[in-house]
Amino acid sequence: MDISPEKIDNCRWLIPRTGAMRVPGLVFANDELIRSIRQDQSLQQVANVATLPGIVGYSLAMPDIHWGYGFPIGGVAAFELDKGIVSPGGVGYDINCGCRLMTTRLRADEIHREMKELVLALFRNIPTGVGSRSPIRLSRSEQERVAVMGAEWAVKRGFGMPRDLERIEDHGAMEGADPSVLSERAIQRGRGQLGTLGSGNHFLEIQAVDAIYDPEKARQFHLFEGQVTVFIHTGSRGFGHQICDDFLKEMGRNAFKGELPFELPDRQLACAPLSSDLARRYLAAMACAGNYAWANRQILMHWTMETFLKTLSITPEELGMNLLYDVCHNIAKKEMHQVSGEGTMVCVHRKGATRAFPPGHPLLPEIYQTTGQPVLIPGDMGTHSYVLAGAAGSMERSFGSSCHGAGRVLSRTQAVKKAKGRAINRELEDKGIIVHSRGKHTLKEEMPEAYKDISQVVDVVEAAKLAVKVARMRPLGVIKG
Amino acid sequence: MAGRRKCFTFLDHTADLRIRITGPTLEDLFRNAGLSLMEIMLGKRPRLKTSPQHLSLSGDDLPDLMVRWLGEILYLLDGENKVVMDIEINAISEMHLDAALHTVPLDPRTHQVITEIKAATYHQIQVAPTGNGWQATVIFDI
Repeated sequence: MDISPEKIDNCRWLIPRTGAMRVPGLVFANDELIRSIRQDQSLQQVANVATLPGIVGYSLAMPDIHWGYGFPIGGVAAFELDKGIVSPGGVGYDINCGCRLMTTRLRADEIHREMKELVLALFRNIPTGVGSRSPIRLSRSEQERVAVMGAEWAVKRGFGMPRDLERIEDHGAMEGADPSVLSERAIQRGRGQLGTLGSGNHFLEIQAVDAIYDPEKARQFHLFEGQVTVFIHTGSRGFGHQICDDFLKEMGRNAFKGELPFELPDRQLACAPLSSDLARRYLAAMACAGNYAWANRQILMHWTMETFLKTLSITPEELGMNLLYDVCHNIAKKEMHQVSGEGTMVCVHRKGATRAFPPGHPLLPEIYQTTGQPVLIPGDMGTHSYVLAGAAGSMERSFGSSCHGAGRVLSRTQAVKKAKGRAINRELEDKGIIVHSRGKHTLKEEMPEAYKDISQVVDVVEAAKLAVKVARMRPLGVIKG
Repeated sequence: MAGRRKCFTFLDHTADLRIRITGPTLEDLFRNAGLSLMEIMLGKRPRLKTSPQHLSLSGDDLPDLMVRWLGEILYLLDGENKVVMDIEINAISEMHLDAALHTVPLDPRTHQVITEIKAATYHQIQVAPTGNGWQATVIFDI
């Protein structure tokens, strides 16, 4: 089926309702981004999601949308609780893959000389890459506590401070986590991976704030030009992957007792009615993985802080490393939104999309009530990352959601081909970015040209009034798997 | 395995990894799929003394069987730190397979994991006969 989106305005495109679609699709993009979006199968995936039972409003796509599996990456969809479904493929294998940003008191020019040493020390101290093992060994009961308590478990074990918790989406612990629904395999895969960064597009980056767009919000976020920040992007590791895998298989077989009341356009969209016990169990397991991911990022933040203190020989007060915020971008959540003019609880799936609640939202902590929720948008290795703040338009237009990154434009094989004969780490070093990666292959796959222009992505988000730009950071040093 | 002809090709996919696997018989296809997964993740693996283990698996149909099969091999690596070195498919039908897997322990000193694969997905999965054998297309989440 050829999908031809119709332009609504400079930042929105409509996919009219056709065939089995229950709602139209809506893509946030400008003219240039829509051209690259049309080159892969992501618009078809937006249309596929629109066929799922109980979907309300639009099947949405953020400007960083690209072809995923099942849902597009950058897809947002909300479902009624009584007639709708939950789909593990609408969350993804890396449940609560997400980002956290730490601010410091340091200025980039103060640590310029130590940057190489610092990046190398981080690479040594943070377990990175596939098969890397964490020094943390969890007993089964401890792992279950992690799954229920999330970031608070890590804080109680001495990783970070209690004040960090209010600076994490859901205070770092989703409600409803129930380890009794987990498979032995999920437990096994999660056992040795808490406190690891992983591989692929996951990274830890030292950055410098190089532009401030909204001075007042930047002040409230404690961001200033020239400041050193640290960005962490990782998720729930093998624990989350196994949970998604387990439930996709179970839903493929049993969700509708062998008879689907609708045609499933893609097996990866396997789902269960939200009113079913299977959906309840999935959401309970998904919350376990979400909490594990928050504990994971909390631990990595602590080791990052330790590495800075030791390498730079400074005191915690001199470093002043504080958590700005931690957001997830692969999750399904029951939230209150306006549907046909009425406040309604719906299950919002965000697959490669970030929550972006506006000022005054009741789920935001006191410290962000006037600013709106910090929205963290990582770039790729060679380009900028952004801090945005959730805006009122997100509640009206995107179920409180925003983009999650730059979005790939080249496949990994295309990227490797394009990088042939090039030393990507040298090219980045020439731009003043020090990179340590387990494999050269990852660097090639993740080379800057493989991604869309992130500035266009965030400009569309701002033009669509989903979030406002607060600050921009440029990369100084990166560790990758 | 040393001397084994490469039996998969990479196809384009924006975010993930899509491959086409071939084999003269259905048994070969499943064997090749399992070994291809290991090759993508680990590259060349040193030949060490292996331990055999038996695996019996059911699926709804061949595509489902393929996803579950690859999931088993992935779990062995990520959950049990076992690298599959060779595979014998002892019996296979639309909905069932019996296999012997020959594994060695994952050892960071001898194995370098090149590509992390989170899962084999159902998205656009295809397993079908061709004019002269069998072919499968699989997208991995990486």
